[in-house]
Amino acid sequence: MSSSQPAESARDTRNADVRIRSFCSAREIGLLKFNPQFGAHAQYKSLYTRRESLEQIAAQPDANVTLAVQADRMIVGFGVLAYPEPSERWAQLQPQVMAEVKAIEVARDWRSKKVAGRILEKLTSHRSMEEKIAYMVGYSWTWDLDGTRKTAQQYRQMLIRLFESCGFIEYQTNEPNICLKPENLFMGRVGQAVDEQTIQAFKWLRFGIDP
Amino acid sequence: MRYPKEVVLKDRSEAVIRPLQKDDGGMLSRFYAAIPDNNRWYMRHDVTDPLVIKKMIDSIGRGNVFSTVALVGDRIVAHASLLMRGHGSTQHVGRLRIAVLPGYRHKRLGTWVLLDLIQYAMDTGLNDLRADFVVGIEDNAIESARKLDFFKVAVIPEYVKSPRGIRYDLQIMVKRLHRTWADF
Repeated sequence: MSSSQPAESARDTRNADVRIRSFCSAREIGLLKFNPQFGAHAQYKSLYTRRESLEQIAAQPDANVTLAVQADRMIVGFGVLAYPEPSERWAQLQPQVMAEVKAIEVARDWRSKKVAGRILEKLTSHRSMEEKIAYMVGYSWTWDLDGTRKTAQQYRQMLIRLFESCGFIEYQTNEPNICLKPENLFMGRVGQAVDEQTIQAFKWLRFGIDP
Repeated sequence: MRYPKEVVLKDRSEAVIRPLQKDDGGMLSRFYAAIPDNNRWYMRHDVTDPLVIKKMIDSIGRGNVFSTVALVGDRIVAHASLLMRGHGSTQHVGRLRIAVLPGYRHKRLGTWVLLDLIQYAMDTGLNDLRADFVVGIEDNAIESARKLDFFKVAVIPEYVKSPRGIRYDLQIMVKRLHRTWADF
């Protein structure tokens, strides 16, 4: 993910143009507006409710904050790819092989317009990702079931389809937080340049076994 | 659902979970032949009968039974089934049956197989899962089910008889398959 240049693509939607821009810097993000729908709802709270949170992540080494931005400079979707926290199991695979898709979120009014797919594509298509294992953890209690009018299982299937489109596959793991609920989800995408030894270590790690 | 599913057991051995296939009959017969007599006694069918195995194989793809096997190499080490009515008052309920080779018990294999079927049941739209256990014989399985949020709904006292005529309670456990996190 290092030494990455911002990349941008435009997409027409039914309502207006949306530009998808990856590797946004903290400074760039600071110049944008944050859609107020990224907030607390009756049954759901966005993972990031403040623009400043995205700025902080963008300042981290190798982080990729990808934004969907409307013509009026309003952020209507975001994706965050960054290294896992040092305390997390996935940080044990060194040197910094694993990168987590920490968030993909689209404002409620902008859903079902394939914005999330474009964000994810931008998050994971950089050439450096071929040397990484990208992963996502889907905790059902973080899903906007109310806003999407989906059951947890339908939402899970939607996530699987979304991530499969970018080369992710579902993996089994005994990570305790993921195992808390059967609808929780763990998916990963192993880059083509990742060596066999690391792939094997990733397998052990998924099941909490020291090699 | 993506198959095969690769799992690593507590002892670092690896197993693969996949649906039962039409050509698994021989392997399935050998699997049940390796299950001790005192375990087979409590099973619903005489799994040493080739016709029973044939019926299991014939039911593949028929819709009311979904079976999976766990393999180590080319050997079946666990077999699990989800049985569904498909109509009427209990069409929302799936019944689970799981058998694991003695050498692969207490290694989380049963848990992985069970978890896989729970996910399948959720995908299928079932609301409840039911599993019956013989108290005093299948206590480890009861504990595993409890950890996966199965809870005891009924006990039929002294319902089951051992080969020597000793009576045991039958415990019925159910797991609710919640549709939203708000139910948690």
